[in-house]
Amino acid sequence: MEQEDINFSDFIASSIHDMKNSLNIQIGFLEELMGECKDKVDESMRSQLGHTIYEASRMNVNLIQILSLYKLGKSIYPIDIAEQSLKEILEELALQNQSIMAYKEITLSVTCDDECYWYFDRDLITGVLVNAVNNAYNYTTDKIHIRAQIRDDMLEIRVEDNGTGYSDEMLLESITADRGISFATGSTGLGLYFSSQVARMHKNAGKLGALSIENGGAYGGGCFVLTLP
Amino acid sequence: MATSLKQSNTLVIDDFPSMRSMMMGFLKSMGVKSIDNAGTAKDALALLASKKYDIVICDYNLGHGQNGQQILEEAKHKNYIGYSTIWVMVTAEKTMDMFMGAAENKPDDYLLKPISEGLLETRLNKLIEKKMSLEPIESAVAAKDYMFAIALCDEQLKKHTTNTQDIQRIKSDLLLMTGNFSAAQVFFESILAVRNMPWAKTGLGKVHFLTRNYPQAKEIFQEILAENKMYLEAADWLSKTLDAMGDLEQAKSVLLSAMTLSPNAVARQKSLADAAYKNGELDLAQASYEKAIKLGEHSVHKNSSTYSGLAKVLSAKDDPQEALKVLDRSKVEFKGDPGAELQTAVIEGMVYQKLGQPDKAEAALAVAEELMRCQPGSVSLSTTMDMADALLALGQKDKACGLLAGVVKNNHENAGIISMVEAVFDKAGLSEEGGELIKASSEEVVNINKQGVLLANQGKLEEGVKLMKQALLTLPDSDLMLTNLCGMMLGLMSKKGKDERMMSEVRQYLDRVSKINPANKKYNTYMNILNKLAHSSPAGR
Repeated sequence: MEQEDINFSDFIASSIHDMKNSLNIQIGFLEELMGECKDKVDESMRSQLGHTIYEASRMNVNLIQILSLYKLGKSIYPIDIAEQSLKEILEELALQNQSIMAYKEITLSVTCDDECYWYFDRDLITGVLVNAVNNAYNYTTDKIHIRAQIRDDMLEIRVEDNGTGYSDEMLLESITADRGISFATGSTGLGLYFSSQVARMHKNAGKLGALSIENGGAYGGGCFVLTLP
Repeated sequence: MATSLKQSNTLVIDDFPSMRSMMMGFLKSMGVKSIDNAGTAKDALALLASKKYDIVICDYNLGHGQNGQQILEEAKHKNYIGYSTIWVMVTAEKTMDMFMGAAENKPDDYLLKPISEGLLETRLNKLIEKKMSLEPIESAVAAKDYMFAIALCDEQLKKHTTNTQDIQRIKSDLLLMTGNFSAAQVFFESILAVRNMPWAKTGLGKVHFLTRNYPQAKEIFQEILAENKMYLEAADWLSKTLDAMGDLEQAKSVLLSAMTLSPNAVARQKSLADAAYKNGELDLAQASYEKAIKLGEHSVHKNSSTYSGLAKVLSAKDDPQEALKVLDRSKVEFKGDPGAELQTAVIEGMVYQKLGQPDKAEAALAVAEELMRCQPGSVSLSTTMDMADALLALGQKDKACGLLAGVVKNNHENAGIISMVEAVFDKAGLSEEGGELIKASSEEVVNINKQGVLLANQGKLEEGVKLMKQALLTLPDSDLMLTNLCGMMLGLMSKKGKDERMMSEVRQYLDRVSKINPANKKYNTYMNILNKLAHSSPAGR
């Protein structure tokens, strides 16, 4: 490769790739450590370790999102739309987040029909849902609920919590979420930008995937709604 | 086949010792007893060669040398692992190159890091369950009982499960393989009516390609690429279609743009080189062959035809010395491979002719002739054409005409191949003579078949079989001859009762037909009759 071919975003992408490898090893060992010392250390130490794992996973999620956006932007992301079992994916998601939820004593539950199948890129949509669950994790009191169902020929996935819900300001801004990075919620807006890009990449029969946020749902808290055609 | 996770023989492949020990720790706490590990591709392949593994967990990126995909391909190629082995590829991120290989070389699952024990255990258990439910279909396929395999697919497709898409793909592959194109078309269309899936649309395009409905095939592949430009399998097929339509320029540029999206696919790089050479773009052909050689270094895709292709280009570019060097490398790389030795000898003959050394050219071609005699029926078409070309250049017209007559007789209904033969004659300034030879050779085949059909109609099936078998000795690759022979043998058995030996003979002939011409319409009909016969009493299978 010639020197001029290396631009700054390529550099960032390859550095992120490298950082992700280190972080993955770290997370693996932290999980192992958590398993080993579960019954040997006191509550506050367990809680600290839990928080460390949560922060490390959050960092990993961010890195994956940046990397995926980089690839989507360059059209080199291998999008693989296939029929998926929602039940399987949501249960796996719950399992993946088990240790993090346990540490803050949050109950994560899933409602989904056994026969619920839909077409999408498994890894990208899992990324969107992980992001939504992480978000709910920060705002909920002690419950998060994920529900998937097919409505009007669209798949609807809702991530609901029992926190105080979104502020009016945030609900208003979500309408203009297309601006992406300027979405000011105290976070960088990366997660939402990633999620809306992924949603819009899912197209079928002239329809596009979409995101929305609202208050209410089963617990009257915040709801994150992803619909896919 | 592993029926439980705990009883499985497992292998962990990762170049990082810490990742390796973490994975092994996961497996251990799941209760797995047999856990091996390897830190390099070489160690991994040595272990795979020595022991049958039920589950392999392999990191995709292993630093220098082979990557995880190349280990998987080599292990499959060398039969270290079979269908029953579960191969899980672990990767930090998804990249295009992972998804470019052939479907049969895909791992059973990809896992994105970080991987937790819980996730690994769930996925492994799901994969074991899936292997077990698909096992009956795969054994029917392995036994070449394709009709039974399709029936099993239909049975499982009655209920919607997580395996539905896999079974749909297996079934569609079987329909294409058995040449049942009308059923394949209906099946793909029924899938597409529910959802526009690129794999099913590509399948539909393949049906049109295989039935030589090129304009329709072209349109479909172009549509897929317009909807999803990363679906490069459609680009490969589009290029093939354009090539078959004689649009070499377009065929090449489709591959060229696919190449920029996925620069590391060896097979595509080679196709691009071939297309560029055919189109007379020697610089591009040279660069592409060189890249294909470099990329194929650690892979089972390493192929002597890439070397001989490069040598041909160099010779055409008036650099025969360099061409000879490439051929010398090929000799070292593919020592003991008779097909490669033949290819090298043929091109060597061409290059020496170019160098103005007819003695050496003759010697090389004499070696090639000997090698050809030693491997009847397995010489590739392109090698045969190169050989005829080289013989004509040396003035050995009779030998060349003999080879080309054989090509015509074996392929008299294939317009593409006939026009290639014409081109060889044109190049040697023998257009008229060539035309006569093509006509006479085609007629010879047609006449033998007419005689056979006549005998069959008169009820003299035994005589017909005898005649066709005799003809087959000189025409081993004529699918028309083969299917007519099969038809007579099946007719004979329906009259006189089935005969195990004759059935296995027919099966072999039909296998050959599907290899020579996957679009042969009679293949499917005869295969059906044969399988019905095999399942019928009293002898059973």
